[in-house]
Amino acid sequence: MPLVKVNVKWNGADHELEVDTDESVELLKTQLFTMTNVQPDRQKILFKGKTLTENTDLNTVNIKEGSKFMMMGTVGELPKEPENKTLFVEDMSDKQLAETLKLPSGLRNLGNTCYMNSTLQCLRAMPELQESLNSFASGSSSSAGAADTLTTSLRDLYRNLNQTTEGATPLNFLQILRSAFPQFAQRNANGFMQQDAEECWTQIVFSLNQANIPIPNRDSSLSSDGEITSGSFIDRYMTGEFTSTLKCEEAPEEEATVIKEKFTKLNCHISVTINYMQNGIMEALDERIEKNSPTLGRMAIYNKTSRISRLPSYLTVQFVRFFWKADRNVKSKILRKVKFPMEFDASDFCTDELKNKILPLKNRLRELEKERESAKKRAKLAIDNTDQDLTDSKNDETTVEELKKLIDPDLNKDIGANVSGLYDLCAVLTHIGRSADSGHYIGWVRKENSDDWIQYDDDKVKTVSQEDIQKLDGGGDWHTAYILLYRSKKIA
Amino acid sequence: MARDTVKNVPPAEETSNKDKQKAKEENEAKTDGEKKDEFEELSEEDLQLKNELEMLVERLKEGDVNLHRPALESLRTLIRTSTSSMTSVPKPLKFLRPHYVTVTDVYENWLPGDNKLFLADILSVLAMTYDEGKRDSLKYRLQGSREDPGSWGHEYVRHLSTEIGQEYVYRTEKELSTDDLMALALEIVPFFLKHNAEADAVDLLLELEAIDQLPQYVDKDTYARVCLYMVSCVNLLVPPDDILFLRTAHQIYRQHDKYTEAVSLAIRLGDHDLIKEDFEAAGHIDALLQKQIAFQLGRQQIDIPEIEDEKLKEILSNSHLTKHFIALAKELDVLEPKTPEDIYKSHLENIRSGFTSGNVDSARQNLASTFVNAFVNAGFTNDKLISIEDGTTWIYKNKDNGMLSAAASIGMIMLWDVDLGLSHVDKYLYSPEDHIQAGALLAIGLINTGVRNENDPAFALLSEHIEKPKAMMRISAIVGLGMAYSGSHREDVLELLSPFISDTTLSMEIASLAALSLGLVFVGSCHGDISSTILQTMMERDESQLKESWGRFMGLGLALLYLGKQDAAEATLETLKVIEHPIGKQVRVLVEICSYAGTGNVLKVQGMLHVCNDHLDKEKEDDLHQAFAVLGVALIAMGEDIGAEMALRSFNHLMHYGEPVIRRAVPLALGLLCASNPLLNVLETLSKYSHDNDADVAINAIFAMGLVGAGTNNARLAQMLRQLASYYHKEPNCLFMVRISQGLLHMGKGTISINPYHSDRQLMSPVGIAGLLATLVAFTDTKTFILGRYHWFLYYLVTAMYPRFLITLDENLNSLPVTVRVGQAVDVVGQAGRPKTITGFQTHSTPVLLAHSERAELATEEYISLSHVLEGFVLKNQNNFINHCKF
Repeated sequence: MPLVKVNVKWNGADHELEVDTDESVELLKTQLFTMTNVQPDRQKILFKGKTLTENTDLNTVNIKEGSKFMMMGTVGELPKEPENKTLFVEDMSDKQLAETLKLPSGLRNLGNTCYMNSTLQCLRAMPELQESLNSFASGSSSSAGAADTLTTSLRDLYRNLNQTTEGATPLNFLQILRSAFPQFAQRNANGFMQQDAEECWTQIVFSLNQANIPIPNRDSSLSSDGEITSGSFIDRYMTGEFTSTLKCEEAPEEEATVIKEKFTKLNCHISVTINYMQNGIMEALDERIEKNSPTLGRMAIYNKTSRISRLPSYLTVQFVRFFWKADRNVKSKILRKVKFPMEFDASDFCTDELKNKILPLKNRLRELEKERESAKKRAKLAIDNTDQDLTDSKNDETTVEELKKLIDPDLNKDIGANVSGLYDLCAVLTHIGRSADSGHYIGWVRKENSDDWIQYDDDKVKTVSQEDIQKLDGGGDWHTAYILLYRSKKIA
Repeated sequence: MARDTVKNVPPAEETSNKDKQKAKEENEAKTDGEKKDEFEELSEEDLQLKNELEMLVERLKEGDVNLHRPALESLRTLIRTSTSSMTSVPKPLKFLRPHYVTVTDVYENWLPGDNKLFLADILSVLAMTYDEGKRDSLKYRLQGSREDPGSWGHEYVRHLSTEIGQEYVYRTEKELSTDDLMALALEIVPFFLKHNAEADAVDLLLELEAIDQLPQYVDKDTYARVCLYMVSCVNLLVPPDDILFLRTAHQIYRQHDKYTEAVSLAIRLGDHDLIKEDFEAAGHIDALLQKQIAFQLGRQQIDIPEIEDEKLKEILSNSHLTKHFIALAKELDVLEPKTPEDIYKSHLENIRSGFTSGNVDSARQNLASTFVNAFVNAGFTNDKLISIEDGTTWIYKNKDNGMLSAAASIGMIMLWDVDLGLSHVDKYLYSPEDHIQAGALLAIGLINTGVRNENDPAFALLSEHIEKPKAMMRISAIVGLGMAYSGSHREDVLELLSPFISDTTLSMEIASLAALSLGLVFVGSCHGDISSTILQTMMERDESQLKESWGRFMGLGLALLYLGKQDAAEATLETLKVIEHPIGKQVRVLVEICSYAGTGNVLKVQGMLHVCNDHLDKEKEDDLHQAFAVLGVALIAMGEDIGAEMALRSFNHLMHYGEPVIRRAVPLALGLLCASNPLLNVLETLSKYSHDNDADVAINAIFAMGLVGAGTNNARLAQMLRQLASYYHKEPNCLFMVRISQGLLHMGKGTISINPYHSDRQLMSPVGIAGLLATLVAFTDTKTFILGRYHWFLYYLVTAMYPRFLITLDENLNSLPVTVRVGQAVDVVGQAGRPKTITGFQTHSTPVLLAHSERAELATEEYISLSHVLEGFVLKNQNNFINHCKF
């Protein structure tokens, strides 16, 4: 049979060619290969509801002048299976889930235990604490004290929490807490009573201190400087030091006495004039106390001015929102709105000596921040900022080195001390309700390296934004910040 | 039923008026008797009339025959010239009423002759006021001179037609001749037609079972209204009147050369020969008109294989669809592919779910995204996940059967574009992963849905894989064939698939899906061989096999064969009674609901509600048929507005008092009833059900929300679904369904509808119904199918998908922008004058989108539409007259 002109449609385009119906399909395929670059063995030629195979005799399929064929085929490589198999959430174990999702688990409420749950969650915001607990050898002897058992139990609880996404049940810890501090086992007609979270916080920190949990291992490069490696975690990371000057008001000639005191938290007093946390703290640092004056030989009023001489890595600030209303026999709450900063500069409360030590680094950090800010603005303006990014990252490395040099050598040796006087807010414990022994406590913890926060409402855990945190400053019946945990600003 | 009332209102008023009048007259009679002061009440004029009439009656009583004629003449004049209002009887009739009996006596005594005939005429009129039960009007009319009844006024004619109807019933019962009645009726019909009372004319002929007489009396001024009335009656008629009406209307349209109207009726009749005849006849008149009809047929996926003309063939095969759809997308600026996230808008959800954050892949959520991506970008031939260079990555982000659905989603995205689509699918046919290969086969089926290609690529490729040893491939090939050739009645597909049904060694899964595919391909064909094959296998298979969830699809396949064929399914229903296994009952319900789909048959709806009445113990008895019965209520009622509304109310009751199996089916039925028609009250109801305690009810309700909003972009529904996404963010199954619904809502970015009714909601697409049903039946066991391994059942919706556009084309089939008004359709049946057919319209330039219950009309007189319905593809002719006037 003579040559027949046919149309072959491929990939939405027409290809015209002449077919010799006496020849094999193979030839046709080769013809098509030259036109379309589709390998013959990958071609599928469709005609009138049939696929032409090698054995098809083209004379039998009734090809006419102008017949239309259809071809399927792909040029080039076939898609390959991706090398990494996708791992699906559905297939993961709980442990894997907890690791990948990074959405931490909550703690179940065991009957008015939200005070404890929120406290535990806030304390958990300190990764160093967890490290420290992990290296804490469990009750070495059977005669381990209450503090030791509590610590062990806390360690186990935290380990547990890190391995599930479901809410954990802190039953064991609760029992130990109640046996160690019977005040938490108070009951009323309805079962266990609500407790003050601050008291719980203090007691746990106190126990941890007693248990003397070790300092987590740091980079060997740093520890080689012969620094003080002794001391407990609480001492180093959570405890600061006041230098207080006591001056007698009634006997001006009396020599001022200087004493050093340790503290694990700063108080923020709330009165009608206080609108910001800083003011509240300042007020609490300048106290008037009554004490026996050696010169006057009687009780006299002293001015006590405390300044911080050591800043710990983790600074706890407590809003003194509750006061004892004797007439109604309740710890009543001050609802006043007191703003707290997301970034806290503690240098105002420091002794001059400490101020001088931290000043260079602090100023430099501030400058850098400003630079970054303006760089961001510029980047927004400039459309292609790819080059800049590169230079930025280079700069970062050099600045870290530069910043490290600015750290005061004394402070550098002091493990767990704050070196810049600057803090970031990392956890908030809030209370809702009108008295400390009622209402509801919730913990809010910042996600690591992110502006998002996690809200721990017992076993209900969800992500919230930074704005939500700033709404916690009181002034209404919403959740109100009670305890804040600040973490030293990271240099890098 | 509304039409029924419309139809009945005038007579009802009439009788009530008559009652009033009677009462009034009786009162008057009483006062007459008691006070005898009637003269005081009458005005002088009336008194004179009364006296005159009485005098005339007296004359008739007298023996003087010569005086009779003039007396009758003047009586007639008096009666005819009197004016009447709606509220009162004409005076002469009123005054003559007391003498009616006397006059009848007189009449009896007269000798036959002209005068007697004359008197009979007058008596016939007088009888109108006298006694209704006896049908005296008619009696005297038939004895009278038979002059034009219209000369006595409209009221008289209507009275007569009522009596004719009653007399007819009476006589047929007694088996008496009705020829004289018919003759009279045929006199009356032209009068009615001439006087804007086409409803009365049609009703009269309906009562006399002589609707076929109508066409001869209809002329070019009346045909449109007559046909409109007749067609809208069809849903309310009992068979075989409905068919007769359609045929008569069709005949009238043909008489007046209204081919597009005629064809759409022929389609409704499902009479292939008639369609062909119309099509060919249109070809003799105007080639362009024939093309328009070809578009109509293409929309309904009716093929006329005998056609040789290439252009027509192309239109009939719908191969132009993809081109115009893309053009529409360009015009509406929605060509840009959308990602699932564009649809979810999860930043607007209240809760930032833990599962979406981070870079962990959830198989379930990825699967949802696959479907969303497929539905949203359906037909646009591009997307951002799968048809891209690196599409394989996304496929592998799905798990096992998810890969199947992911690969198949290419078919959805490439919908209607056979050439391009196949080249995209090709590479996956070589995949080492079975799921992907199977998915590619399904994709081939999807691409070819609704379009035909002369090279039959779907058949060529899928028939090769149907013998593959791996069940997965077989299934995909079977399902793909079913989709690609849905409604085509192709015998070669039958040959290919029927062995799978009859071979009882094969699994239920394969056999059932083969049955379903054949049901789709031969939808509404009443194909005897297939039905006997399916019945045979149902009888032969073990009980344990029939118990499998798959059995329902075998039944559905059988049922689809009888879709809309009403009593043609009787024999099959009888045969099914033999099957003792519960499946017999299920399938019986399925066959019954399908055969009456869209008919609005009230008796069948009642029957289905009756099935739902029983409170069955699931442990002891199978109750699945009740779920189908619920679907059936929607399926039967969906063709007709009032019935649909009543169904909505019934569902409310079922939801309150029904067993779980019924409650689960109710949302699905709602979805079917209002597919792509987001009525506010339905949305509210479904939103309520979507929070139901029974998770299955909730899931079905969420899916139904997707169906109801499919392709509408309804903002309110979008908001509801986002709320549901937050609400269910911890329940993967519910969340999955919410995502699917979100995808459906934005199907084709809001350009595609899944409502099986089109062409001004007159025509039902059988393949559309079949696709919807297949999906919904899968939802009667969500755990196994949609939430299990067979989520690809969602793709069955493809047969119902069609762009809801109006595209106007010129003679060369190029798009031609024309200004049109788009507004809510108004029911104009039986309204006098030239009522507006749309309300609240906006003026657009074509192409435009039409929502359900919207209608378009031309806003310019520059063009003439060749189709009576502005929907889908419409050809435009230059209006030569207007153009002429311009010069």
